Amino acid sequence: MKIWRKMRKYKAMHKMLWGFLVGFSLCCGNALAASGAKIERLKSGGFSLKVDGKPFLVKGVSYNPAPIGAGYDYDLFSDPAKPWLVDGPLMRDAGINCIRVYSAGKNVEDVRAFVRQMYEKFGIYTIFTDWLGLWDPSGPNYADQKWRNALKQNMLKIVRALRDEPGILMWCLGNENNYSFSAKTVYWSSPDIDKMSSEQAKQWERAKIYYSFVNDLAKSIKKIDKRHLVGMGNGETGYLDIAAKYCADVDVLALIMYRGPNFGILFDNSRRSFDKPIILSEFGCDSFDAYNKIEAPDQQSVIVMNQWKDIYRNTVFGSGNIKGKIPVCLGGVLFEWTDEWWKHNESFQPDWIVHNTEAGWAEGAYYFDSRAEAGLNINEEWFGIVAIEPDQTNGVNIRVPRKAYYAIKEYFASLNNAS
Amino acid sequence: MRKILVLVLACVLAGAPALFAQSTSKAGFDVYTDKNSPNNHFIPSGWMGDSGDLRMNDQCAETPAAGSSCVKVIYNPKKSAGQGWAGIYWQSAQNNWGDKNTGFDLSDFNKLVFKAKGAKGGEVIAKVKIGGITNKPDGTIAAYPDTVNAEFGPIQLTSEWQDFSLNLAGKDLKYINGGVALVFDSNQVKGEQTVYLDDVRFVNDPALKAEAVSTPMPFYVYADTRSLDNHFIPSGWMPNTASQDIKMDTTSKEKPQSGDTCIRVEYKNASGTRWAGIYWQQPANNWGNVPKAGYNLTGATKLTFWARGEKGGETVNEFKMGGISSGEFVDSDTAGIGPVRLTTEWTKYEIDLTGKDLSYIIGGFCLSTNIDVNDPEGVVFYVDEIKYE
Repeated sequence: MKIWRKMRKYKAMHKMLWGFLVGFSLCCGNALAASGAKIERLKSGGFSLKVDGKPFLVKGVSYNPAPIGAGYDYDLFSDPAKPWLVDGPLMRDAGINCIRVYSAGKNVEDVRAFVRQMYEKFGIYTIFTDWLGLWDPSGPNYADQKWRNALKQNMLKIVRALRDEPGILMWCLGNENNYSFSAKTVYWSSPDIDKMSSEQAKQWERAKIYYSFVNDLAKSIKKIDKRHLVGMGNGETGYLDIAAKYCADVDVLALIMYRGPNFGILFDNSRRSFDKPIILSEFGCDSFDAYNKIEAPDQQSVIVMNQWKDIYRNTVFGSGNIKGKIPVCLGGVLFEWTDEWWKHNESFQPDWIVHNTEAGWAEGAYYFDSRAEAGLNINEEWFGIVAIEPDQTNGVNIRVPRKAYYAIKEYFASLNNAS
Repeated sequence: MRKILVLVLACVLAGAPALFAQSTSKAGFDVYTDKNSPNNHFIPSGWMGDSGDLRMNDQCAETPAAGSSCVKVIYNPKKSAGQGWAGIYWQSAQNNWGDKNTGFDLSDFNKLVFKAKGAKGGEVIAKVKIGGITNKPDGTIAAYPDTVNAEFGPIQLTSEWQDFSLNLAGKDLKYINGGVALVFDSNQVKGEQTVYLDDVRFVNDPALKAEAVSTPMPFYVYADTRSLDNHFIPSGWMPNTASQDIKMDTTSKEKPQSGDTCIRVEYKNASGTRWAGIYWQQPANNWGNVPKAGYNLTGATKLTFWARGEKGGETVNEFKMGGISSGEFVDSDTAGIGPVRLTTEWTKYEIDLTGKDLSYIIGGFCLSTNIDVNDPEGVVFYVDEIKYE
């Protein structure tokens, strides 16, 4: 009797354990399936993105909602005010389906919680980008093997921590790091590079070193994470012909482009340099008219809509009726969600509470204020499609969506694509 | 009382041409037959470009084609205002650049005819224009714009009077302020030249049909510096600082790919802007704000050109056509290649135009590059034989 009772108890426990295991595996299996992203090559030679087996159009925004008074070191994920709980509903209502972040901040566990909440509460994916040390206080040095190894280990640590999150859409390595080859942004070199005979040769060598590193990183990531795509950030199309030789394991070109109302010959020409699908990982328009010195939400809306339409007609969703069009674009990540009030004077903290209206650089393709003095017409602190105000609710600056927000909302609602 | 009414009516009718666009008789509408001919219309008051390079005498008695006088125009390409071209408009009223409603309704006519010759033979009129006064100097649309912007040319003259006719069938001639314009291009002449014009008039030819809209191929952007086959003007320098960063010579004799000359481009980042480019535009400086401009290049399947670098390795970020998109009358499409890394050998490049809408092209060719993909000291490269095929 005693033995029989023990056997019954054993069977019951066995059933419970089995049930738990089945339930657990189903749960994990669903989590595994929920974040599977895949590139499909089309017969035309173009590309399509599928997430969970369904066609997916990337309708994203860059997300760094630094509150007024915060600066370059703002860590979104540890912000106790959790602004994403305010922004998420607005994004979801506009049809935005992903955001892009640029680093893991201070604690990757905070990133995990953020990614999970964005996905579970609002259905919004995260494209996780790492700067790959470009803005390290001591400066990058891709020519230094030890330095590269340290970066690599850090990135793989992040991937291990986040790879099982269903809210991760893809990884993105670097942003505009290619501008460092000519020292446009930061300078790095090595004794071997310094010995080279011409500056041009030095730039090409830096390109080879950097892109080789990116590819090595992509391969290493794919060994430990088979479910996510790996993209490479690149400023414009510079050096993509060299990247094409060294970055075969990169899945997506995540291009940063500020070309005004459209992207010109990019989509029809990109495969000639590097035959990979494209995500516009930064594009947009500021909402300040530097010529007339007034806010220009209408102009921002017009240009952002033109940009979106150019993107869409180069995706598998929008290219069907365009004769000869080969879709190479998977969508875009608009720069950016909210204004960042620190950007004009990054190193001067007292200025971070001022919404500066001075322009920082010039791009004549943004024609509405291209006649500004010295052509300087790009206002870095005014790129948000959502404005922020000094007043706060629960520690979060009040959000005031601009015209571009509503235009995007209406446009996304009108599209006949999945996701 | 009746006499007063008749007098008032007569005065009103006499003043009518100044009040609104007039209809005209169907016999012909003279622009110029003889000096002071009562049938003349339009006034040669619209001087343009390097106007100091032009001298005109519209009562020249030197062997007119008919009557007692003809128009004599002397063009000396000194580039007195730095433009490289000069022209004269015959306008419906003195100096009317579209701000006064004095134009004529020439809907009853479909052809411009005139006689022309050169003093020696070989003289070139770059363009004969009809209409085209559409924009104010600031680029906005004029209050009373011409309804047509037609141009023909270049025309090469002989030393004998020849008859010329320009087909205007199917064109909207309802309001014409710029009756006729002559334009000269310094690249097309070898020195001072003298041309004569006579018997310029609009007529109606019932048998004339509108020309089918098709442009013969090949259609050159650049063949040689003085080629009469050239189209578009390299006027669109980008951005504002481009003139500090680019030196361009369209008359370079440094080993052209074919013919006598090629285009030499020297780029340095002197301004600090880090990029620069040039658009070949039609007309000059047309950023999409000039109506009825450009060319219909439907039928072209590719744009080809040759390029080489001085040292090899020079990178041109983009070679393209079309893409001027910021105005109201923009390019109908765009296509291009790039980045292109050049060698020291002439290499032929092609831009595929299959499936492109080429019906309205104002940006015929464009090249642009930046210092971040090039030698920081700058680069020199050459382009030749740019044509639509």
